[in-house]
Amino acid sequence: MGDAPLVMSGATKRFGAFTAVNNLSFEVPKGQIIGFLGPNGAGKSTSLRMSLGVMQPDEGAVSLFGAAPDIQNLRRVGFLPEERGLYKKMTARDTITYFARLKGMGAADARARANELLETTGLGKFKASRISKLSKGMAQKVQILSTLAHRPDFLILDEPFSGLDPMNQQTLEDLIRAEHARGATILFSTHVMEHAERLCDRIVMLARGRKVFDGTLDAAYATLGQGARMAVEHGFDLAAALAPKGFEAHRAADKGPGDSWRVSLPKGLGAQDALRAALETGAPIVGFQPEDARLRDVFVSLVGEAEAASLDAPSAADVVEAA
Amino acid sequence: MRNIYLIFRRDFLGYVKAWGFWLSLAAVPLFLIVGAGFGYFAASSSPVRYYTVVEPSNVIAGAIEAEFRRTEARAAQDAAALAGQMKVPVNEAQLAEAAPDRKFVAVAPPAQSVEALQPYLTGEKLVSGPAGEKPLFAALILSADGRVLEYWSSDVNVSGLRYSAETAMRDLSRRDALLAAGLSAEFLKEADDRAVEVAEFRPRDEVGGGSEVTVADRAPAIVAVALAYFLWLMVFSIIQYLLMGTIEERSNKIFDTLLTSVKLPELLAGKLLAVFAVTSTMMLSWSMFAGVGSAFAASQSPGLTELIAPFLAAATDPGLIIPALISFILGYVLYGAIFMALGSLCDTIQEAQTLLSPMMILLMLPMFAIFIAFQDPGSPVIDYASWVPLFTPFLLILRMPQDPPLWEIVAQMGLMAATTVLIVWLSTKVYRAGAVHGAGIGDLMGMIKGAMGMKPKADVKG
Repeated sequence: MGDAPLVMSGATKRFGAFTAVNNLSFEVPKGQIIGFLGPNGAGKSTSLRMSLGVMQPDEGAVSLFGAAPDIQNLRRVGFLPEERGLYKKMTARDTITYFARLKGMGAADARARANELLETTGLGKFKASRISKLSKGMAQKVQILSTLAHRPDFLILDEPFSGLDPMNQQTLEDLIRAEHARGATILFSTHVMEHAERLCDRIVMLARGRKVFDGTLDAAYATLGQGARMAVEHGFDLAAALAPKGFEAHRAADKGPGDSWRVSLPKGLGAQDALRAALETGAPIVGFQPEDARLRDVFVSLVGEAEAASLDAPSAADVVEAA
Repeated sequence: MRNIYLIFRRDFLGYVKAWGFWLSLAAVPLFLIVGAGFGYFAASSSPVRYYTVVEPSNVIAGAIEAEFRRTEARAAQDAAALAGQMKVPVNEAQLAEAAPDRKFVAVAPPAQSVEALQPYLTGEKLVSGPAGEKPLFAALILSADGRVLEYWSSDVNVSGLRYSAETAMRDLSRRDALLAAGLSAEFLKEADDRAVEVAEFRPRDEVGGGSEVTVADRAPAIVAVALAYFLWLMVFSIIQYLLMGTIEERSNKIFDTLLTSVKLPELLAGKLLAVFAVTSTMMLSWSMFAGVGSAFAASQSPGLTELIAPFLAAATDPGLIIPALISFILGYVLYGAIFMALGSLCDTIQEAQTLLSPMMILLMLPMFAIFIAFQDPGSPVIDYASWVPLFTPFLLILRMPQDPPLWEIVAQMGLMAATTVLIVWLSTKVYRAGAVHGAGIGDLMGMIKGAMGMKPKADVKG
């Protein structure tokens, strides 16, 4: 635990009568990419702000590199907040240089590093441009570069993909992999499970301020095992129909016609067995596909369909971006 | 210290790179030049106005003319006294040359009745005089019974001639009464010439009981008013910087990033220092402008140095400048912390504008006190109000030339320092709630109560 970038022990944060984070404990071991997953309002941002000492937990403790968060150990951290913002009148290069200097870099090093990062990410010709003159995507890129300019040991990224177009999301994924390859530990929050599936060694799932899962991706998938995706006509309750046959079904994100369900397979049975059982119940099947478990399905199985529904809702940043 | 410097540097450069800074910097000297030029133009461009007096004899016209001459003689006396203090030798011819031109000139009546004078007063007809042909500005007509002097004019807003006529009439009345009592005109002239002058003295320990009052005696009070006004101007000008700057950061959602790099007190200190440096740069630039202007004026009129010297001496007197410096620093920190904390609660400029009115009222109170101090430096209003910590920074400076008791100075400074510490502490709480937790103006009272331990903290967004 001594040099673990982050250990949160029983952290609780309340705002008046509302408990945003409830008795949260997890550890971020050195060198891993951890996904911090949960729908909007699950308490992810509050947890991350507590982990940085921006907010103090009402109960429990936070340890950053073996000590309470302070300016010294925070110098080893790069933080990208969910609500992005930069000084609009500063240039891209000055912005990165400024935040790198605040993290302890010397003026010349910070400036050189800013130039290097801007060049390697294709923003070289915009380095003297004011932030207000950049596109939203470019400005977000500048903020991300500001976060990692001082070569932090630990990167905390709060919803880093929100507001980015698919091309920039891919660029960010590449950046995260590059930082990981450099040796950085990475903790990022997201409500989009696909990013976590592509990037993470481990995930921590949160719902209503409580941790509902903490483990590797494989362990998450193992909670559901092999499965099959079935689409049935609207309104048909496949879970109720399959339960007597020993199959467990959960609503999944709809893809194609009808209501989409994921059916978990008991040990020793295959997807064809599930299809046969469904046909025997007279289920109006309009689609069928054997598949491995997805994180979203894991989340649905852990917290229920209603809670998981907000996973698909856009975040505040997405809404702003769309507007 | 490094972080404070970095925050200070970024904010300072951010402010001085803005157009508004340079406009503000240029505005004051420009305003002074334009204002002075306008004043000179207004005085010199004031037209010569003709008036006439309709009376059986030339007595009233003579009295008014005498009154004008007396006024001019008093102005010449004042100018001579000023020249004396500046040690500039002047003769009567120079004084006469420097005297302003007469703006009201008597002309012979073009008619004897109001009806006949009407076209001249309305400009339909012109009268001739030293400045050419002009409409008649005013006609003073003595009534038939000699008891009323009617003042007729189309321009009722220019009242200088009427006031001079009233003074002349009172003097004439007194003179007539004394002549009627048997005194001769020569005797009255002799009496006027022998009138006792009032000379102003001040008791002093070092000069055999006292000596005549000079500019040097008035300089400390004038300098104190100037310093208090300077502080007021500084506080007034930081409002927009602190409010707008903090709103920009709050709307840019930048606090979380900053607070993972610097401590909150470092952030506040850097920001306050930056705004202090901005206003100091302005004040310094304006002072340099004034200095260069004074040096230029002194080079044109060497005696001016003698006039400026007492003010410089007063401004560098430790008895005034040390309390002034302490008041400056504490006053700036006190008001700066308040404005910054309030700015952190606002999302928009519109929201901030709702806060500006109460702030302006708060700031106008010491301004009124400065006016009172200018009229009556020893006013008890100043003494009492200086115990209110929010006003102490301004009013303690104003009190210093009156030599208040030492214990009062120390006590007021102590109270001011304690209040500043309390306000900074409260402001830090409010700033954290606003900047970090997203609290708004509506949460302010709840936060203050929470900070004072009166009830749990207000709900804020997470």
